[in-house]
Formats: sequence, C-alpha cells, structure tokens
Amino acid sequence: MQHTESASEITFHHHIDEKTFKRNVIRTTVILSVITVIELVIGLIIYTMHKGPDPNTYVVLAFKGLVCILTLAKAYYIVSVFMHLGDEIRNMIMTIVVPLLLFVWFIIAFIVDGNSYKNLRNDYDKHFQESTTPASHHGAAEHAPEPEAPKPGKQ
Amino acid sequence: MATTATAQTKWWSGGKSPFNTEYGKLMMWYFLMSDAFTFGAFLISYGSIRFSQNFWPDPNAVFNAFPGAGHANLPLAFVSVMTFILIISSVTMVLAVHAGHNNNKKDVVKWLAWTIVGGFAFLGCQAWEWHHLITGEHATLIDGTIQMVGQTTRVNPWGDLVHGPELTAALQNSTQHTLAQIVSEHSHTYTHDQLMGMPKQQLVDLVNEAEVHIRRNGPVAFGGYFYGITGFHGFHVFSGVVINIVMLVMTQNNVFENRGHYLMIEKAGLYWHFVDLVWVFVFLCFYLI
Amino acid sequence: MSDAIQLHSETVVGHDLHHDDHGHHHQSFVSKYIFSMDHKMIAKQFLITGIIWAIIGGLFSVLFRLQLGFPGESFPILETFFGNWAKGGTIQPEFYYALVTMHGTVLVFFVLTAGLSGTFSNFLIPLQVGARDMASPFMNMLSYWFFFMASIVMIASLFIQTGPASGGWTMYPPLSALGQASQGSKAGADMWLISMALFIVSQLMAGLNYISTILNMRTKGMSMTRLPLTIWALFFTAVLGVLSFPVLLSGAILLLFDRNIGTSFFLSDIVVNGEVLPNEGGSAILFQHLFWFLGHPEVYIILLPAMGMVSEVLSVNSRKPIFGYMAMLGSLFAIAILAFLVWAHHMFVTGLNPFLGSVFVLLTLLIAVPSAIKVFNWLTTLWRGNIRFTPAMLFGIGFVSLFISGGLTGIWLGNSTIDIHLHDTMFVVAHFHIVMGVASMFGMFAGIYHWFPKMFGRFLNNTLGYLHFWVTMVGAYLIFWPMHYQGLAGIPRRYLDKGNWHSFNQFGDLDKMITVVSIVVFAVQLMFVFNFFYSIFKGRKVTSTNPWGANTLEWTTPINPGHGNWSGEIPEVHRWPYDYGKDGREFIPQTEPVGANESKH
Repeated sequence: MQHTESASEITFHHHIDEKTFKRNVIRTTVILSVITVIELVIGLIIYTMHKGPDPNTYVVLAFKGLVCILTLAKAYYIVSVFMHLGDEIRNMIMTIVVPLLLFVWFIIAFIVDGNSYKNLRNDYDKHFQESTTPASHHGAAEHAPEPEAPKPGKQ
Repeated sequence: MATTATAQTKWWSGGKSPFNTEYGKLMMWYFLMSDAFTFGAFLISYGSIRFSQNFWPDPNAVFNAFPGAGHANLPLAFVSVMTFILIISSVTMVLAVHAGHNNNKKDVVKWLAWTIVGGFAFLGCQAWEWHHLITGEHATLIDGTIQMVGQTTRVNPWGDLVHGPELTAALQNSTQHTLAQIVSEHSHTYTHDQLMGMPKQQLVDLVNEAEVHIRRNGPVAFGGYFYGITGFHGFHVFSGVVINIVMLVMTQNNVFENRGHYLMIEKAGLYWHFVDLVWVFVFLCFYLI
Repeated sequence: MSDAIQLHSETVVGHDLHHDDHGHHHQSFVSKYIFSMDHKMIAKQFLITGIIWAIIGGLFSVLFRLQLGFPGESFPILETFFGNWAKGGTIQPEFYYALVTMHGTVLVFFVLTAGLSGTFSNFLIPLQVGARDMASPFMNMLSYWFFFMASIVMIASLFIQTGPASGGWTMYPPLSALGQASQGSKAGADMWLISMALFIVSQLMAGLNYISTILNMRTKGMSMTRLPLTIWALFFTAVLGVLSFPVLLSGAILLLFDRNIGTSFFLSDIVVNGEVLPNEGGSAILFQHLFWFLGHPEVYIILLPAMGMVSEVLSVNSRKPIFGYMAMLGSLFAIAILAFLVWAHHMFVTGLNPFLGSVFVLLTLLIAVPSAIKVFNWLTTLWRGNIRFTPAMLFGIGFVSLFISGGLTGIWLGNSTIDIHLHDTMFVVAHFHIVMGVASMFGMFAGIYHWFPKMFGRFLNNTLGYLHFWVTMVGAYLIFWPMHYQGLAGIPRRYLDKGNWHSFNQFGDLDKMITVVSIVVFAVQLMFVFNFFYSIFKGRKVTSTNPWGANTLEWTTPINPGHGNWSGEIPEVHRWPYDYGKDGREFIPQTEPVGANESKH
C-alpha cells in the first residue's frame, strides 16, 4: 500500500532554481551565525554585570529579554527557510503555527505558579527563606548572584 | 509563489491534499509539533522550578570550561562551539535535501555524510561536557564541612559563595585531604604528599580565603533538569544520526534512485532541523539566561 | 521566491491504487486477524481489547464497591481468589487502593481512550471520508501493537508481589514517587509509568494517522464542511491527543527519574517512616500541572468521540438533519481550544496561586457555552423528528440526558469557592462519572449498536439491547445520583472505611443500595458482552447495504467490505451528510448529485 509512490494527493511540484536556493541558504546561515554571536556577546555582558559589585537587576532582565527575542528570530529562520515551512501553502503554515499559541498560557501559568510557590514558602517557611536566600555580600567582588529578583526562566 | 495555483485550485474540496503535501510529510510536521510540546513541557517545568527558588546558579559560573584549557575561566566558549556545530550540520542537511530534490545521488551522499559527522561531533562535545561536570571536583560547603563534589543529579556545587568567619570555621572542620586539594588548586609550591604531612592549622593558613571560591550547595533541581533536558535532546540528536545513517545506507543502495524520489530524505531533514531548533531553546534556557 | 510552478493535470482520482489485488489475494490468518493493516480489523482489535479491559476495570469497581457498601463484612470467596489481598474475606487497604487506582487508569486510558477513539477513529475515518485505508496502514498497525504492549505491562503489574500502582490514577508524587511510602509505589508504579509511555507512543502514532487521513485522504467532493460530525469530533480528539499526551510523557519521564535516579523534580522536604529524605527543591504541584495539562484534554479525548457519534446517531434516527451543523462544529472547536486552557481547575486546593485559580475559574466556566450549544442542538434535532427508538438511538438520548446532568454539576465544581467545599468528596465522583465516564460509555454503546452491522455484517440482538439500555440507564442514575448528596454532606472519596465518623453512618444503607445496583449493572454489561460475541457469529444477518437509511459513505460499501472498502471506484460526494426528510424524501445519500430543482438546505 504505497501511497507515497503515486503521491496522488499532490497537485503540483515546486521547482526551486539553483541560484535562489544558494543565495537563501548562505543568507540564512549568515543570519543565524550573526544572531548567535550577538547572543554570546550579550551573555558575556550579563556575565560581567554579575561579576560587578552591584548588578542592576532591570538591565540584566532587559538583556535576558533581548536574548529571548533573538532566539525566537533564530527559530523563525530555521523553521521558515531550513525546514521550508515558508514555502508551504498558507493554510498549512497556520495549522502548525496556531497551535503553538497554546504555549503562551502554558508558559504564563506555569511560571506564575512557580513564582507563587516561592512566595508562599518564603511567607510560611522561614527556614526555607533563610537557608536559600543568598546573604548580601559586603562589596565582595565575586560573581554575586542576583538579589531577590526572579530570573526569567523563559520557555 | 503558490498564489497562482491557489487561486485556481479548490484546495479543500477533497480528492487531493489541501496543503499539496504527501501525508508522510504532514505526519512528520505534526509529530514535530507534538515533540515540541514534550520539550516545551520539560523547559517550562524547568522555568517553573527556577522561579520557585530564591537562588539559581549563574550558568556562566557553571559552564566555563573548555577541553584542554585546564582551569581557565572561559564562559560560553564551549557551548558556542556546540551551537555552531549544530548550525553547520543543519546547513549540510539542507544541502542534502536539496540534492535529493534534484535526484543527485552523489551530492545526497556527500552532504548526508557531513551531517552525520556533525551529529557525532555534537554528541562528542556533549559527552565531554557531561563528563567534565560529573567528575569535576568543586569545594562545596555541605553541613558545615567542605567537600569536593561534582555536579550530579543529587548535589549541586554552585550555590552562594561562602565568606568570613563561616568559611574559616568550615575550613577548620574539613579533612586534611580536602584542604590539601584546595591548596594545590591554587599553588604548586608543595606536592600533595607534603601537604598531607603538614599540621592541619598550617594547611588552613595556606588557604587564601580571598582567592578560593568555596560555595554552598545550590538547588538540586539544577542538575536534574540540565541532565534531563540536554540528555533528552542528546537522545534526539542520537536518533537523528541513526536516521541519517539509515538514509545514507538506503541512498547508497539506490533505494531512492529506484523509487524515483528522495522524499524520505526530506522527512529525515525535517527531524534533523527540529533537533537544531530545540537546541536553540536549550541554549537559551540553560546557558544564556 | 521565484519558484516556477508546474501545474500537473488535475486528474487526481482518490487513491485508487492496486487495491483490487488485495481482496483476491489469499491472506494468512496472521496477516488477516493479527498483524492486520486493514483499518477495519485494527478497529475490531481495539474494540475487543477495550471490551476485555472494560470487564477487568468494571470488576475492580464491583470489588471496591463491596468494601464501601458492606465495610467489615467478610466474603470468603474473595480470599479464595485474591489470597492475602483479601485476608479473611475483607479487602485489605493496599488492595482497595490498588483497585481504585487501576479502575481509574484502565477505564480512562485503556477503555475510553484506546477502546473508544481507537475503535471508532479507525473504523469510521476511512469509511466516512471515502478512503481505501488510513494514510499509513503500517503505523496504524504499530499503534495497536504499542497499545497491546502497554496493556501487557499493565496486566503484568497486577500480578507482581507488591501489586500494581495504587497512588490514584493521577499518580501524584510524592506518594507515587517513593517506594517506601506504600506497597503500590514500588515496582507497580514503575510499570504503570512504562505502560503509560508505551500507551502515549501508541496514541501519538494513531493520532497523527487520523489527522493526516482526514486532511489528505478525503474523496473528491468531500470538503471539510461535508464531513459528518463524527469525523470532525474524531479529528479534534486526535488533535487534542497529539498536543497533550507529550506533556504527560514529560511528566512520566521526570517521575521515573525521581523514582529511580534520585533527582528532585517533584520532591522536597519529605519524611517517610521517620527517615528524612535528601531530596529538596522540587515541587509536587508541578507534577499536577503537567498531569492535568494532559488530564483535562484527556476528558475531551474521551467525550468528543461520543459527542460526534451521538450527533450522527440522533440525526439518522430522528430522520431529520442535525440542527446547527456549523454551530456544532464551532462548539467542538471551542471545546478543543478551551480544553487546553483550564487544566488547573483540578488543583484549586493544592496551594495553587488563588489569583491564577480565579483565571482558571473564568476559563472553565466558558466551556459551559459550547457545551450548552451542543445540548440544545441535540434536543432541537430530536424535536418533532420521526424518532426510531433503536438501541443505538436510546443510548444516544441517554448520552444527552447524562451529559446534561453531569455537566450542570461541572458548573458548580468549576467555581473554586464551591470546589473548596466539594473537592475530593463523593460529589466529584458523581460529577465526572456521569459526565465523562457513563456518558462516554453511552456514546460508545450507541456507536457499537449503530455500526455493528457494518463491522460484522450482522445485527446485535435488539431485545437484549433494550434490556441493556434500560438497566444501565436506570442503574447509572441510581448509582451516581445519591453520591451527590453524600458529597454535599462531606463524605470524602478514596476512604476505605468511614465507620469512625458517626455523621456519615446515616448513609450506610445508601451505600449498600449503590453497591447492589452496581453489581446488577455490571451483570448487565456482561450480558451485553455475550450479545456482542454471540451476534458476531449468530446474529441476524444484514441483508441490505444501508440498513439504517443513512446518508454517509460507509453505507455505500458492500455489506462485508474487503480491504480497500469499495470494490470499484471510490464514490464522489455531492452534498452534506444530513439531508434527511428533504423535499419529501426520507434520506438522500451523500453520493447523489444535487438535483436541478432541489431546495437548499
């Protein structure tokens, strides 16, 4: 029972010309590499900020947010060009992209509840709070971990 | 592109694929979507646990080693090599799939082989990293004494740094052997045997409290999630490599040549790119933020 | 993109391949009945495996009902069969919890997921969309055999010394994660998790197949809005499974790690039998999130196929078009989406963030809207119809009744304020058994009575069918209705013996009554099983291809269709499947071209 053989479901075939293909692949490879390098640079910036005496939580958070956005951009290029999803019929793209929206509530609910679990324990389990909250460092020039601020554990 | 055709064709009226796609590719796409939920669930659980902790290790303090570089502090260096290996192997896979579209057996074989090489290279890197983390010896303050531990699923040596009187007391409580190890990490003036022969107080005085990085034990879940998720990803890479090898053998044996098309390579390619895609998110969640 | 496009000729005719060979080839017993790739045979395999599981799962409920109805009484026969598990003829606590856990697991996953959607998706999708077989018959076969392996592992766990998993069908850690915490959390729990992993693989392979068959393999003219509602329901069921089962897989893998390699995903601050465990930092609530992210869609995985089949059966036997086809479709879609957004309403009292809980209350109550739309559409389909009370139709109507009764209590429980009082009481047991358990069973029975002639070329015995329906219907209400009162009075579920609470003693006789009725109902199900197997061989033969006068494509196949379903070309479809009682004609099959003077529907 080889449906593949005749592939009767297929109406027409794509034919991509060599030059466009080459250009696309090279362009995407360059974009992916550049984004990765930018991510690494941001990673190092966050690292040096952590090392510094008084890391500004919000700036660190902003940088982390930026890395998340860059990662989504990378994902877009991999899926759209390397996996050729961009070449498919629009409806098919939708059947794949739209269900992924479920991740929005999936992520929000899990993260909010994780955060709430921490707050509850800090309120009602003082031992937990004392034994896990890092002590403040008096000018210690080590990579001081962030103070209380929650870290974005995105996606 | 497909607009001209879309205008003329009633895609949904039955008798044909509404997406102009054979069912196998459709199944592969939806399988990948469901696999995305598996990985998503892992990573979101990790996020949830991370948010439920007051303290989480700084990845740059954990992943700062490079093969052959000893104790040099090189954050992000090794993982960027791994990332580039996967990106490049993804590119070679694209070329293999393209060669398949052109029914070009020679190129399919060539690019598939390079993809397999990339896959093995990545797996090798991961094996080294795991080995380094598990067998690494980090001076960690556990229950008042300093112990040398590696990153496992049961203990995490990447807690908060210990300072002042607490550190001094901890040094006093620790064994001769541990102290000798701590000292010889930073100075090579004495041999291990010499250090073991010293009176304990002298040994404690040799430890430069400002220089040693002695930490408390950190959240245990860190190790579980790191090994769990990178392991699950590594398992996907491994199965991707196996699939690619099967494809290579089938290509060599002219299976696709005789079939008239290389659509199987395309499906294997989708799987391989997905592995790369997942790595992008693993990279983000464990190494960058 | 400058892709050149070559339009091939549009003469794409279904997928008629070389099927004609298939029918004539001599098939060995193994390739015809065991490793069959024919979707109809695979459907029967799922159905019969499901029936066997249902007997096992049902028997478990009878056993623990004996304990609940007659606590402290001795039934020596139990010791004969179960030995130390029922020492002195009374059910031991470990046994009781194992029974409750296995009853839930078996019924939810093995009967109402694999047995229901496995049977009818396999059987109906190719037949009703007009395809020779599933997109990938091989994967379809694998899907059954993975289910079979999952079954073997689960069955095996019943016979190990420490018994099967017994921490509840939801397998909440820490209880399920720690072998030292209970007998059932030893090897039985590992086997449960392995069995579920195999089961998930089976469901994924099946679901991917269903989706791509429905999308790609429809016959000419079968546009999506000409699909029978059964197919739409099975389609959304498959989508739900493909997106939610992987999340349970993640949870199961993490739990396996917690059990076996000392990780702390779900464990923290635990003392068992005086021993302080080293695990810390995990969150038991996290497992519940992961579990219910599957668990809630799972409820609809169970319910949607029943809804779809009932829609079809009601319309055919009322001789009226289904009322509000597009509204039915839209509400199926809405239910499928909302199914993913409401999981934490199972967790209101776990320490879930109360604000987050209130968002889940809102989303949960939204489900009432599409559910109500469906109920009203079923009722208006029945309204002024020429109803034929076949057993299938009776079960269809019974489904609607149960869905209303059980659905209304869902609105109570969806409110966190009321749920705090009712959580973990018999009220919850009553609610989900009526709306999800018994209602889906009714949908399944409706499907079996309706499509049995297509499956085996014979009818089920009608008299036994009517008896089956009335006893089950009355019995279901007698069993579960009183449980609402028990729950409101605060009787907790899962308790082995409530004798220590004087205030609960007034319900002792009620419990006895429930137990007696459940034994009767179980016996009637055995009668149905007899009817089923007897009729396969000795039932009244089907003489016409379309015994119910239905419009859908499966009734255009031969009475006993071979592999490939249609002996000639696959018929083309010209209309929707619900042209009943139109222009003075009783029914107009989908294959009939639209006439020139025909009125619009």
